[in-house]
Amino acid sequence: MKKVILTLMAIASVGQLAMAFCGFYVAKAGADLYNNKSEVILVRDGSNTTITMSNDFSGNVKDFAMVVPVPNVLDRSDIQIADRSIFQMLDAYSAPRLVEYYDYNPCGLPMPSMMDVSMEKESTTKMATYTARKDNFNYKVTIEAQYSVEEYDIVLLSAKDASGLKRWLVDNGYSIPAKAEHVLEPYIKSGLKFFVVKVDLNKYNPKANGGFLRPLQIKVKSDKFMLPIRLGMANSVGEQDMIVYAFSKRGRVECTNYRTVKMPTDNLVPTFIKPKFGTFYTDVFKNEYRKVGKNAVFLEYAWNVTPTFNGMKCDPCVGNPPYTREITMAGVPWANQNGVTTFFTRLHVRYTLDKFPEDLFFQETPNTEMYQARYVITNPATGDLSCAEGRVYQDKLRLRRRKELIELASLARWNTDSYYDYIAHGTDKVRSNKAKETDHNIKNINVPFWFFGKGSTPHKGLFLLVFGMLIVYSVKRLKLTLVKG
Amino acid sequence: MYSKISAHFNKETADPRYFQILYLGSFLVYGLCFLGWDGDAIKYIAIFASAIVTQMVFSYFTTKQYSSVKSALITSLGLSLLLKTGTIETAILASVFAISSKFLIRVNHKHLFNPANFGIVAAILLTNDAWVSPGQWGSSVLLWFIVGAGGLMMILKVGRIDTSITFLLVFGALLFIRHVIYLGWEPQVWLHKMSNGTLLLYAFFMITDPMTTPNHIKARILWSSLLGGALFVLSTFFYVQTAAIWLLFGVSLLTPIFDKLLIATKYQWNNLTASTINNPNQTT
Repeated sequence: MKKVILTLMAIASVGQLAMAFCGFYVAKAGADLYNNKSEVILVRDGSNTTITMSNDFSGNVKDFAMVVPVPNVLDRSDIQIADRSIFQMLDAYSAPRLVEYYDYNPCGLPMPSMMDVSMEKESTTKMATYTARKDNFNYKVTIEAQYSVEEYDIVLLSAKDASGLKRWLVDNGYSIPAKAEHVLEPYIKSGLKFFVVKVDLNKYNPKANGGFLRPLQIKVKSDKFMLPIRLGMANSVGEQDMIVYAFSKRGRVECTNYRTVKMPTDNLVPTFIKPKFGTFYTDVFKNEYRKVGKNAVFLEYAWNVTPTFNGMKCDPCVGNPPYTREITMAGVPWANQNGVTTFFTRLHVRYTLDKFPEDLFFQETPNTEMYQARYVITNPATGDLSCAEGRVYQDKLRLRRRKELIELASLARWNTDSYYDYIAHGTDKVRSNKAKETDHNIKNINVPFWFFGKGSTPHKGLFLLVFGMLIVYSVKRLKLTLVKG
Repeated sequence: MYSKISAHFNKETADPRYFQILYLGSFLVYGLCFLGWDGDAIKYIAIFASAIVTQMVFSYFTTKQYSSVKSALITSLGLSLLLKTGTIETAILASVFAISSKFLIRVNHKHLFNPANFGIVAAILLTNDAWVSPGQWGSSVLLWFIVGAGGLMMILKVGRIDTSITFLLVFGALLFIRHVIYLGWEPQVWLHKMSNGTLLLYAFFMITDPMTTPNHIKARILWSSLLGGALFVLSTFFYVQTAAIWLLFGVSLLTPIFDKLLIATKYQWNNLTASTINNPNQTT
């Protein structure tokens, strides 16, 4: 029995994470399945979309399989094998970043004026186990095309009904999650085809590519600019993360049926988060995710990456910006054309079935404003600070550190009481062992009527004022109408 | 003294446009404070200032009725809520086009296009820097309630509830038949589509403008059914994500035809206030 990945588009490659993809894995009982992060590159050019799906599958390749709904039957030329390194490259370039600055010693001693940058990727791990179920149905499935693309065996199917398709997959050695049929049905009725992939063991060389399967890159033609995430949630109970690297000619790519929200950026945070930046960002993301009601798409990076563009490609760069070669590898057909803009957007979506009932739809916008999720730490001056300016500096430093702690508490929801020594000494020594880094019980505020809860801002007061006026006015009007009537 | 002020207040507040201004204003504040929209103050100031100035200039040369600044405010709020742009110039262009359209494109003493809609269409067509974000409101059920309740109160006053209800019923029913009954998606998918804040704001605000909808109730029901049906077709089968904006523009062209076929009295904003009731040239 094969492990089947029915995913919006695909699976993933083995990175630092054991397995990650936006679909579901199916395995025999007992097999542990990791289902955490998938990465997709989207290139939008008119009504053509090139989709590159990372492949983090690290089990036995004979168990690998994948089902992707596609709008049309693909030609052989629409299917390419991409290089795994492109995902690592784009991720390193666009990941949320921590910037480090150094204060000058006001008492005149020369200080290092360098600016250092460190970066870590956020990672989340979710584990899900599924069991297979066998059903007996008649199938009305047509094999529209069949290709052998390097180590992959690819079939394009069209189906008349979901039970038939499911039966076909089962009879051909794929095991399908119980609820998949329910999700396959709307796709079949919408006229979608199914891109079904497995590995040809005769052509697969386990020694090549570090033993990993390479990403598949497909080109589809449709006015719909979307990612069918629903299939990947057919049997999943937990949260799944997906990073979308989008390229367009105009500007930012945004989601049209969910909110696209910017991550907080340029916040000054305590120096001690440097070694734990990954944890910090994961918590910031988790906090923002809760704040928006768990149903928004997050913008983590947006930049003009046109190879001929002379401006800065990042500020600061945490990885090399993509140039013509990488942009072409990502599936951009216009990378070599002069005078055509290439705009890059990184979106991060954490989705669950209850909060994301619909597939993700996107649009290109003319918005070319650059954006990056960036956090800043500032190292204090060292040396003798006994001069008058030095003492003023130390007062300011304590004030700044207090603000940094407040920022940390509001951004990542860390309990900063335990870091009290940071203000005076700059250490992250924890005073009491009962204090925990994160407090997950803090109530999340996403309802506009929660004006007095934790995290109240002056904005909420303003909203209350306007809304109150609205109510007063309505009551006034109602009375007037009643009197007249 | 108090009764005089109170009487004045009652007379003034009888104009439903005050309610509209508060209603839309609260949405703008909500978007800026809670939904994390780019709070580019200069852009909003530019929209408001250019709309008011344009309105004043046109009023000076036509009716000399400066109370219609309220309408300019409503149009500015509509533009601020729906139009996205990166530059001030585009914002001003949209605003000037929106207000000018009220004075320049008129049929039978009524302006043809919803001004905010016209401004958005002009900005998208004439510049390379304007867009609408259908997803910017999200789909929270609470929002649905607020938009629905507030919108209902607003249109009850304006008297165009039939337009909103018909539009939502036709669009909602077609969407339900397609997605839930035919395709077999869960009702949540339908609910998610229907509780889109942009759709609701459109239904309760954009298409209830008494000046750009037909005067006769039967004509309005037909007009909004047409809009609902066309929006369903364009968004479902042609994947035009911003279809609503283009459709309202197109369907507005039918309003004079409906008005010709089914004759009814034109709406007066100030029909509750005696002072302007007999002014047939009142522009909004």
